[in-house]
Amino acid sequence: MKRQFDAILNVPVSDPDDARRRRLLNILLFGTIVATLLGLIAVVIDTLTRGPADAAESQATLVGIVMVTVGILVIYQINRRYSGRLAALFFLLLLTAVFSVTDTPEQLTGGRSLFLFTIPIAMSSLILAPAASFLFAALSTGVISALALSISHSINLFGAIGFFMLALVSWLSARSMEEALRELRVINANLDQVVIERTKALAESLERERIEAGRSQAILNSIADGVVVFDTNWNAMLANPSLRGMLDLPAEAIVNKNFRDLIEHPQLSPKSRGLLRAMMEHDTQPPSFRIEWGNKTLSISAAQVYDYSKDRFTNIGTVTVFRDFTREAEVEKLKSTFVAIVSHELRTPLNAILGYVEMFKEAVYGPMNEKQVNMADRIMKNTQRLLGLINDLLDQAQMEAGRLTIKMSPVRPAELLENLHGVMDQIARDKSLKLTSEIDDHLPEVLNGDGARLQQIMVNLVNNSIKFTKQGTVHVRLFCPYANKWGIEVSDTGSGIPESEIPYIFDTFRQVEGTATRVHGGFGLGLSIVKQLVNLMNGDIQVKSTLDVGSKFTITLPLVIPEESTEKWRIG
Amino acid sequence: MSELALIIEDDEDLASIFAEALRGVGFEVEIIGDGQTAQEKLKKGIAPFLILLDMHLPYISGADLLSNIIKKDDRFAKTIVIITTADARMGEAYNEQVDFVMIKPISFVQLRDLTSRLKPKG
Repeated sequence: MKRQFDAILNVPVSDPDDARRRRLLNILLFGTIVATLLGLIAVVIDTLTRGPADAAESQATLVGIVMVTVGILVIYQINRRYSGRLAALFFLLLLTAVFSVTDTPEQLTGGRSLFLFTIPIAMSSLILAPAASFLFAALSTGVISALALSISHSINLFGAIGFFMLALVSWLSARSMEEALRELRVINANLDQVVIERTKALAESLERERIEAGRSQAILNSIADGVVVFDTNWNAMLANPSLRGMLDLPAEAIVNKNFRDLIEHPQLSPKSRGLLRAMMEHDTQPPSFRIEWGNKTLSISAAQVYDYSKDRFTNIGTVTVFRDFTREAEVEKLKSTFVAIVSHELRTPLNAILGYVEMFKEAVYGPMNEKQVNMADRIMKNTQRLLGLINDLLDQAQMEAGRLTIKMSPVRPAELLENLHGVMDQIARDKSLKLTSEIDDHLPEVLNGDGARLQQIMVNLVNNSIKFTKQGTVHVRLFCPYANKWGIEVSDTGSGIPESEIPYIFDTFRQVEGTATRVHGGFGLGLSIVKQLVNLMNGDIQVKSTLDVGSKFTITLPLVIPEESTEKWRIG
Repeated sequence: MSELALIIEDDEDLASIFAEALRGVGFEVEIIGDGQTAQEKLKKGIAPFLILLDMHLPYISGADLLSNIIKKDDRFAKTIVIITTADARMGEAYNEQVDFVMIKPISFVQLRDLTSRLKPKG
């Protein structure tokens, strides 16, 4: 309904001002038709009530109404087909003409109907042109002047001035409205331009992103490592072809599947399944670990992905990288087995050498002279050193193979120190060094630990200190820094470690300055083993050292008191 | 009369060193070089005063000899059992079951001193 009405009122032209004026004219034409019809009804009612007395007058009114109606229809056609301005001009002239005859000349020139002329004046600014109001002010002035003259009245100067005042106001308001509309159109045009530019920029950035994504996809598709991306619920969002090849699974079996279901796959060993479960359950992932998938060994490293938005980091998932480690694992295993077997086989003959030399020394087959005893002593010491080295190698091999485990049982710290003195006192004395020790009062008498490995840690550290100390003391302290920690501290008055070397002293097969190997002997495995053992015990080792003053190694370990002894402790 | 000490050890050199240490203390020594022979000997022979048992033996391991024969037969109730092993962990595991555990390398002096304390005087 409204649309049809709009179709009648609107004139389809390109100039927006023209279109607006012509639509406005159509509305006025419509209004006038309605007013005319109302006038018609009024005439009919008037005739019926008053009777045929003023028949001539009514007839003239009817003729007027018909003429106005026809005129309006013609103007509508002109407005639609030819020119808005022409139609507007005709309409305004028609209105002025009609108003000129609607009342008596007296009323028109200075009475109640004078205002009628203001209607075309005000309209002309809107539908013809802003300045047209002056034209119609002049026309109306002419009409009322002519009418005044025709009835011998003086010209209504105030009326004329009023017309021109109205024309001025109409002109100003129409002009400012048109200006405002023009500005609005400029703003709109600019806005359109901005929208176009923005749309273009957006399209370009989307295209760039698409290219970028394509590039990332290409990289992901061509790397040899298997990559899988999980959301926070461990649903696999994507998996690259390498991973699918590594696991020998189609994409459908991985992507959009939950990892918890995937690890139930029979190719996975139970131990590996446990490791992967642990990876999913813990927020902090270990740097990397290995799993067995069928006959393959895969090294896995997982990293959480964080998105920084709204001023905080949110976990949005995990990227897991699988690397085929089968070959390396085989080589490693072979090496470890080799070292283990060789070490074992080396130890037996060394034990025999040691035994025979002892027999010499103990004069089992008759007494020896002083030089011979001295020689036997040296053979024994060298054999023991060799045995120590082999033990280190064996430990290292076992640790690399992951076969060395920590077994906890109740341990007496005092006993550890006693044994340490038993083993190391002689060695310290041989270098004219003092080996001293103390136990912190706060340290429990019994605590949980791997006695043999703790002993090994202490022996290695003290051995290391003795090796690098020419004179003075090596001091061992067992202490309790916090309620849930205990520690081993070994300090010496030795040569100290250059600061630049401290980061490397725990490396396998390394000694400070390289030359040290020749001077002090050994593989440089002692500290490396200490560090690895401390790590296995979930502990921490720190070194402080000053050149030519000495070094201090401090180990802190979790303190666990055996349950039985807790009871005893409380009672005691 | 001297007591019998049985040395069950597959390495000849070690066996001879151990034998020398034990003889030095005054034991009568018998050496057995493998698990099979040891098993036969233990089943029919008389119970020795002391057994020095290597845990790693050919055919039948020292661990099996210990759990299947020595621990089951009352004849060995009074026998002192010393096991020898290079594996400290294994040694710890048997600590409760035997009289002494010696971890290789085993020193001649160490073995001699230990056994001399065990040997009855006179």
